[in-house]
Amino acid sequence: MKQQPAGNWLPMATVIFLLCVGCSLSSFAQFSIGLEGGYTRNYLQTNNANRDFTNYTPANGFNIGIPVQYKISNWFAIALDPTYIQKNYVQQRSSFYTGTYQISTNSYAELPIMAHFMFGGKKLQGFFNLGAFGGYWLSGNVKGRMPNVLNPIDSVTATNTVYYYSTPYNYNEKYTFDTRRDNRIEAGWIAGAGVSYAITDRYSVFAEGRMRQSITDMQKNYMINQVPRYNNTYSANLGIMVSFGKNTTDNQ
Amino acid sequence: MNRKTIVYIPVVLLVLFISSCTKSIENVSRPENYYPGTFSDVFEAFWTGMNNNYIFWDIDTTDWDAMYRRYQPVFARLNINDSADVRKSVNYFRLMTQGLVDSHYNLSFGYGAVADSSIDPAYSRKMDTIHRHVFYPQYVVGYMDDGVDGIDNSTDPNEVRYAIAGTINKNILYFYCNIFELKSSYESSTNNDIKKVLDYFFAKLANPEGLKGVIIDVRGNPGGEVTDLNFLLGKMVSSPLTFGYTRYKSGNGRLDYTPWAPAVITPQAGSKGLNIPVIALADAWSVSLAELTTMAIHTMPNGKFIGETTWGANGPISSNQNYNGGQFTASDFLYAYTSSSEFKYLDNNIYEGKGFPPDIAVPFNENYLSQKRDAALEAAITDILQ
Repeated sequence: MKQQPAGNWLPMATVIFLLCVGCSLSSFAQFSIGLEGGYTRNYLQTNNANRDFTNYTPANGFNIGIPVQYKISNWFAIALDPTYIQKNYVQQRSSFYTGTYQISTNSYAELPIMAHFMFGGKKLQGFFNLGAFGGYWLSGNVKGRMPNVLNPIDSVTATNTVYYYSTPYNYNEKYTFDTRRDNRIEAGWIAGAGVSYAITDRYSVFAEGRMRQSITDMQKNYMINQVPRYNNTYSANLGIMVSFGKNTTDNQ
Repeated sequence: MNRKTIVYIPVVLLVLFISSCTKSIENVSRPENYYPGTFSDVFEAFWTGMNNNYIFWDIDTTDWDAMYRRYQPVFARLNINDSADVRKSVNYFRLMTQGLVDSHYNLSFGYGAVADSSIDPAYSRKMDTIHRHVFYPQYVVGYMDDGVDGIDNSTDPNEVRYAIAGTINKNILYFYCNIFELKSSYESSTNNDIKKVLDYFFAKLANPEGLKGVIIDVRGNPGGEVTDLNFLLGKMVSSPLTFGYTRYKSGNGRLDYTPWAPAVITPQAGSKGLNIPVIALADAWSVSLAELTTMAIHTMPNGKFIGETTWGANGPISSNQNYNGGQFTASDFLYAYTSSSEFKYLDNNIYEGKGFPPDIAVPFNENYLSQKRDAALEAAITDILQ
C-alpha cells in the first residue's frame, strides 16, 4: 500500500527550530508538573471499499495524563506527557444489515515528547505543542451485534433486514490480541494548541486541543497486500500545572 | 528574535504537520471488478479474493503469500487468448488450492476452453481412499417393521428429495433424509410425500411412549438449509441447546474475525424434549449440515454418534455480502465456492478438513452390505437396546 511520505520539510524545520532555541536561551529554568484529562475522538484510517454497506465511523473516548514541562526560555519548553488514552472506532453496517455494528474500544499508554511554544501575557498565554509520541496498545474491548447464522429465526415475518432471518447475537467482550496480527507498538506525530491562565505564580490552568496521527499500522506486516489501519485521534483537554523553580528573565 | 517570529515558527510547523498527516490508502477492489483482459488480472482477482474472503486463514497451512510469489509470474506469462494457456491455468489454480482446509471449497470455471471445469480440493484428497457413496435406506428397510417414505421433486424440480421414517423392533424410531431441505418441503405449496414422512416422524416424537431410542441417519447426506436444525432437532429438546460457535470475517486482513457466536438449537413449540437415547448415524459422506446435525445430537445429554468420521465441511455458507466473506467471483473467469463462517464445536476444536469423529466407530463394511446388512445401524440398535 502506498503512503504519502512524511514530508521533506522536517529536517529544515528542525534546523530552524534549534536556531530559534539557541538564540533565546537564557538563565531560565522552570519545571512544571500537572494533571490533565478530557475527551477523545478517534478516526480509523483504512480502506474497505470492497465491502457492501460497511463503514468505519469515529468514536469517542477519554484520556488522562500527567504533563511535565521544562521551560528553557520564556517562549519555549520541552514537554513530556505520559497519558492513558482511548482510541476507539465503530464499524457499522447499513441498509439490509442495519443494526449490525461493532464498537472497538482500544486503550493505549502513550508518551508524547513535544516542543512547547508559548506567547502572550503574564496571566493569559497561548501555546502550541508539536512533537512525537510512542505508545503501547494496552487492551481492547469489542461490543456489538451481528446476525447469528446458526441461530436462525424459524418463522420469517418480514424481509427487510437480516434480523428477520437470523437471531441477533449481542456481545461485549475483551478483545483478544493475536500475536500474529496485532502490532501493539504505536508511534506518530502529535500537535496541539491551547491557552493557559496563571492563577498564581505557581498554579495555572489550561485548555488544549490536540491531534495525533499514528504512522505505524495497527497490524504487523503479516500478509501481502495488507490494508493498513492508522489511528487519527483528536482530543480536547483541561488541566492544571504547578510550577517549581525560578524565572530569572523577564518573560515579556 | 522578535516575538512575531517566535509565534510564526510553530504555526508554520503545525500547518506543515497537519498537511503531512493525511494517509493515502489504496482502494481494495472486489474480485469481480477485475477485467479479465490478461491472466495477470485474473490471478490478482483470484488471489485478492481469497486473501480477503477466505475464512480459514487462521488454521489453514497453505502459505498464501508464497502462492503469490510463485504463481504471479507464472500467470503473467500466460496468454488469455490462447486456449492451451487457458487450460494450463486450471492446473495452476488446482496446485494453488490443493491444500486448502475448507472442505466445501470448489472452483468452477466459466471461461472459453475451460467452461464447466471445476476443482474440488477436499474430494481430490479423499478420492483414492473414501468408500463409495451408499444409499442406506435400501438396507434399512429390511430392519423396519413400520414406516413411511416419500419423495419431493416438485418444490425444486432440479433435485429429488427423499425421506423415510419408521420403527425398528417396534420401539426404535428411525429417520433418514437424503438432503436437508425438510422445512422447505414441509412448507412447500406443492404436494409432496416428504410431508407425510415428517408428519409420521413428528407424531411419534410428540408421543414417545414405548420408544427406547431414536436414530437420525444422515449417512450420505450433503447438507442443506440451516433452518432444518431447529425444524428437526428443535422437536427433541426442551431448552436451547448450544452445540458450537461460528464467527465471520470482520475486516480484509486474513486474521480479522468477529467474536464467536453460539450455535443454538431452539426448541420448537410444544417440544417436551426426549429422555431416551438419540443416535446420529453418519459416514464419510455426511457433509456440512449433516455434520452439524451430528454434532448437535452428540451434544444432547442423551445423544451419541455412531458410524464413521464425517467429511469435514463445517463452515456455514451464505452470500458474501451477508457476512463480508466467503464465496466470490474472480473477474468473470472463475467462481470460488467457500464458507462464509468458521465453525468450532463445543469442545473448542475446529473439525474443518478433519471431520467429526464418532463415539462408536463402525467402519464401512462392504461385506456386510453384500449380505444386505447395515453394520452401523446394527451397532445403534444394540446400543439402544442394551
